[in-house]
Amino acid sequence: MLVTRRLVTAGLAAGIASPALIRSAGAQGATVKIGMVTPMTGAAAESGSFAQTGAKIALEQVNKAGGVLGKPLELVMEDDQTTNPGAVLAFSKLASQPDIVAFLGSIRSTQNHAMAPDMLKIGKPVGFGGTDPNLTKLGNPWLFRFRPNDAYSGKVIAQYGGKELGKKKWAIVHSTDAFGTAGAKALAESLPENGATLALDQGYANQSQDFTPVVLAVRQSGADILGTYFTFETDLGIFARQLRQLGVTIPWVGSPSIVNVSALKLAGPALYNTYGVADYAEDSSEAAKAFGKAYREVRKVAPDNQSSWTYDAVVVLAMAMNKAGTTEPGKVREALLAIRGHKGAEGEYNFDKNGDGLHGYNIVKNEKGDIKFDKRIDFTPNLG
Amino acid sequence: MSTTATADAGAVRPRIRWGLPAYIVLVAAAIAFAVIAPKTGYILNISLQATTYAIAVLGLTVVLGLCGQINLAQAAFFGLGAYAVGLGQTDYGVNFWVCLLVGTGIAAMFGAILGASTLRLGGHYLAMVTISFQQIVTLVLINWIPVTKGPDGVRAIPRPVLFTDGSAYLALCIGVLGLLGYLVWRLRDTRLGRAMRAVRDNELAAGVAGIDVYRTKVTAFALSAMLGGIGGGLFAGGFAYVSPDQFSFAESVVFLTMVLLGGVASPIGAAIGTGLLIVLPEWLRFLKAIPGLYLAIYGAAVILIVLFMPDGIWGFVRSRLDRFKRPSAVVAVPPLQLAGGGTGAETVLEARDLSKHFGGLKAVDEVDIAVRRGGVHALIGPNGSGKTTTLNVLSGLYKATSGGIILNGRDITTLPPHARTAAGMGRTFQNIRLFRSMTALENVTVGAERPGGPVSGDAAAVVERARAALAFVGLEHRADEVVAGFSYGHQRAIEIARALASDPVLLLLDEPGAGLNSSEKVELRDLLKRISARGLTIMIIDHDMTLVTEVAHHITVLNFGRRIADGTPADVLAHPDVIAAYLGTAPDAAA
Amino acid sequence: MDLVLQLLFTGIGIGSVYALVALGFVLIFRATNVVNFAQGEFSMVAAFFMVMFSVKLGLPYWLAFIVSLIGMGVLGAVFNLAVYYPLRHRTYLPVIISTIGASILLANATLAIHGPEPEVLSGWFDTPGFLVGPVYLDSQYLLIIAVTALLVVLQYWFFEHTLLGKKLQATSQDKEMAALLGIPVALMIMVTFVYSAVIGGLAGILVAPVLFVSIHMGATIALKAFAATIIGGFGDVTGAIIGGLALGIIETFGAAYVSVPYKDGFAFLVLVAFLVFRPQGIFGERVAEKA
Repeated sequence: MLVTRRLVTAGLAAGIASPALIRSAGAQGATVKIGMVTPMTGAAAESGSFAQTGAKIALEQVNKAGGVLGKPLELVMEDDQTTNPGAVLAFSKLASQPDIVAFLGSIRSTQNHAMAPDMLKIGKPVGFGGTDPNLTKLGNPWLFRFRPNDAYSGKVIAQYGGKELGKKKWAIVHSTDAFGTAGAKALAESLPENGATLALDQGYANQSQDFTPVVLAVRQSGADILGTYFTFETDLGIFARQLRQLGVTIPWVGSPSIVNVSALKLAGPALYNTYGVADYAEDSSEAAKAFGKAYREVRKVAPDNQSSWTYDAVVVLAMAMNKAGTTEPGKVREALLAIRGHKGAEGEYNFDKNGDGLHGYNIVKNEKGDIKFDKRIDFTPNLG
Repeated sequence: MSTTATADAGAVRPRIRWGLPAYIVLVAAAIAFAVIAPKTGYILNISLQATTYAIAVLGLTVVLGLCGQINLAQAAFFGLGAYAVGLGQTDYGVNFWVCLLVGTGIAAMFGAILGASTLRLGGHYLAMVTISFQQIVTLVLINWIPVTKGPDGVRAIPRPVLFTDGSAYLALCIGVLGLLGYLVWRLRDTRLGRAMRAVRDNELAAGVAGIDVYRTKVTAFALSAMLGGIGGGLFAGGFAYVSPDQFSFAESVVFLTMVLLGGVASPIGAAIGTGLLIVLPEWLRFLKAIPGLYLAIYGAAVILIVLFMPDGIWGFVRSRLDRFKRPSAVVAVPPLQLAGGGTGAETVLEARDLSKHFGGLKAVDEVDIAVRRGGVHALIGPNGSGKTTTLNVLSGLYKATSGGIILNGRDITTLPPHARTAAGMGRTFQNIRLFRSMTALENVTVGAERPGGPVSGDAAAVVERARAALAFVGLEHRADEVVAGFSYGHQRAIEIARALASDPVLLLLDEPGAGLNSSEKVELRDLLKRISARGLTIMIIDHDMTLVTEVAHHITVLNFGRRIADGTPADVLAHPDVIAAYLGTAPDAAA
Repeated sequence: MDLVLQLLFTGIGIGSVYALVALGFVLIFRATNVVNFAQGEFSMVAAFFMVMFSVKLGLPYWLAFIVSLIGMGVLGAVFNLAVYYPLRHRTYLPVIISTIGASILLANATLAIHGPEPEVLSGWFDTPGFLVGPVYLDSQYLLIIAVTALLVVLQYWFFEHTLLGKKLQATSQDKEMAALLGIPVALMIMVTFVYSAVIGGLAGILVAPVLFVSIHMGATIALKAFAATIIGGFGDVTGAIIGGLALGIIETFGAAYVSVPYKDGFAFLVLVAFLVFRPQGIFGERVAEKA
């Protein structure tokens, strides 16, 4: 053993003493800072890295175009460890830096719930990607959603399956986490208005090693269309493969994870000919295409919603600050609420009074591993 | 073998006389700092997390540190408290304090149930039961959506009136932690605390010394769960949001790591471990450029601390501080009073047709023994003749296959060991069974505390009696030393003193001469004679025929589990069957 | 009936995975009386080795397989020297914490070196599976079942009929006695760790084509395998196999006929039932340890 007891003790002592040193450096800088809470470790570390790339691309573009209020924009990132307490600490760490003027929250709804009290307290605009509809109904004026919420995804899946594909008998398979249950609920509620019925509503716990009982339940239910809300790509991959192995071939419309990069890589042919609702689809608009091009230059893989929402959020936050002519939180908030028809990578931003910026989804189809844009379904928001 | 927690060898009680005021000042300063000092939301959140976690970790100090039972479900208890405070307030509109109380109660109840499983299980198996409980709680929190709100979690959890401000709430949490920390600190030297430590060090001996082992373990689990529940309740108020993933198995592991790193023996260790494990990953955040690196370093740090600081950080610091420890002053004590069960019937112990079978083996076969009051009764026989088995059946470690045992006129055949001790049975073991991490005085105090004993109730009187018992065996001047450091002969004497302190009706000695050198044997003989002279009845097993013939008034001889002779020493030793048994089988009779 | 057969096949397949990992638990427990909480990470690390050698470096599948297992052997040896051996004279608690630390270290070191992306590893066979009547048989699961069965036989032969096996057995039963008989106990423990790491690695490599390769693949399997170990009895190799299979089948049928979200709960309920009513496991002969 090379490390002596004393060394360990000394190291620990030094460790406890020094975090204060790091924080004080670089206050009053010559940059405008946006804080970003993002998973770097834990189960969502991979999607976190996509989100970071998206934000960095936006950062570069904003700075190339002159920055914010004449100063360069800067991103300060903190790891949320893919856990709720981790997110709370990460956010409060960012919030304690007074020169950070706006924040990017999490794509995971529960983390946003966990951070919400601190977000309210700090009183600065927070852009986030969690899709739980409740998040923007909490009366917290500082939350701005840069993805369409699950009420829309459920509606879009139901409408597409019913009207476009003409299927009436649904099997819904969903994760029992917050995202999955909320999504499945919205989908189930939208079925009647599209003349469809629910044959099976099947939840599963995240990180299952086997989906045979679930697949068999789908097969037994006699459903003619499948709607899914999967959280983790590994789960989706195992499910997709077993679904095909056990001979289930009914049309399948899934939540956004069905078209994300890792799922495509993991599941391969098992996902061919499936449909997905996607808040980001590369061919859906010129803005989406432009983002896709920029993203492919940085990373070798195709862009997905993990990166597009952070890209949009950084661009829109910078735009709002420039329009407001200040970083004063109240003014920036008003500028955000006033945004109309901004064409972002995810779609057209029109913030309603709750702070929801997007009001529709793209439907895409997996054609032999290529994601082809099929249709965009938008709903008219109440912009009051 | 006992699978106990890391023992705090060399431990000496903190001197409460200066310790308490210093402690109060420290806690008051921390509270004042929490209220006055300007702090960012980040510092506030870290402090809140550390304080509430530390309360839960204190629970592990009790169950693992004091009682030696592993608990890998502390996060579940933490979660029960947190959900009670969260759901109680938001869904049912119940007051914060009532919720906290209910949550603590629910946690304590489940803790007791979990503790009940220790009746049959220990070590890794107990670890597994607690993991299972943890997993089931997590699954229920996630899936019982109508009640728990499922994975969405409970949000907008209010804080109590007067404490809605972050600083005030932190001050409250620090105050609660300070109070509970003090209670756990003092618990160590209460009767319950000593019982827990005795169970941790040697479960078998604890039972024989009069401790209800099972109830002690259940209590330890319940207390641990209560502390978990309180911590969780305060956590819920602090962060205003709870969700199932915050109370997962991984968090239980974190709690366990915290207590072991800080030092399991003391609440200070719990505080250090919690603080460190919350601060360490935060401090390592500057390494975030490479994902996973800082958690990898954290994992490595855990291994290094376990390797180099076996008793945790506080244990390590304390062993340095103990170099400056002052020896305690010798206090004058009155002589030991031995009532010997008073003056009842002439027969103190009567065993009739006593049998113990292990499968087909009849280790003890229909043996009759009658021990007369006031004498020294020896039970002898060649190796494997069933002597120790008989003693174990008499003291309740084994259940008799058939037959009956009457002690001082009371039928004790079906009583567990601790209840027999309460009825007046005292015993020692062939292979000494002391509570090795406790001091001589603490060991003997456990004996003096037996329910129904001469002084059970009054704490000062108990300690005085324990000192008197130590003085009786000539070791009072070393009362505050940990027994692991005593010589073999002295450990034997302490074990006898522990039994004497309970003022038994009958003292069972299992080969007290085994392993002693000749001068120690002389001391032992004199000790036995002095005990007998006080009127206490002794039943002794020994191979040393010199010792037996010198002290015994009556001898019973066993061979192959059956009684082959019974009577005065002279008669018995002349008995032809006895001579045959010894010469025919066991050459060690002369030893 | 088709349904039952299909579920049975899946149950046995997933159960074999638990059994393989459980085997590693049992071997280390028998040799050291310690539960290795990093056993699941052995499987995870081996799967990443396989990805590195087979996918990234392009070695032939069989060669990558062998190199990965050799890598696991080295890891097992290092693990023993750094995590277990210095603590061998202490109670089981510090060792448990040390293995927990090692588990955090291995998972996050893998994350730091490889990055977070899950990977696909192709199976041993080109055909993914085939239908026998109404039942679909996944070829990788068939391989896993076969390897598990083979290991039971090998294990028996190794421990009962080879000198090294007998020495290992002697060491696990009574270290002091084994030392007196001239058996190099330290070496035997080293061999046990190397062997367990290789077995755990084998499980990881075999299961990777089915469950994909991800940082957290080890943790979930290990917890179930641990439960399987208790059900089967800690002292017994056959017990671990039977416990794993039983758990896999119970879980699959429980999910199909009772509740999918509570699937993991069945494992732990069965476990608690075993702990309370038969703590020595199905095959265990030892009485429950008393603390």
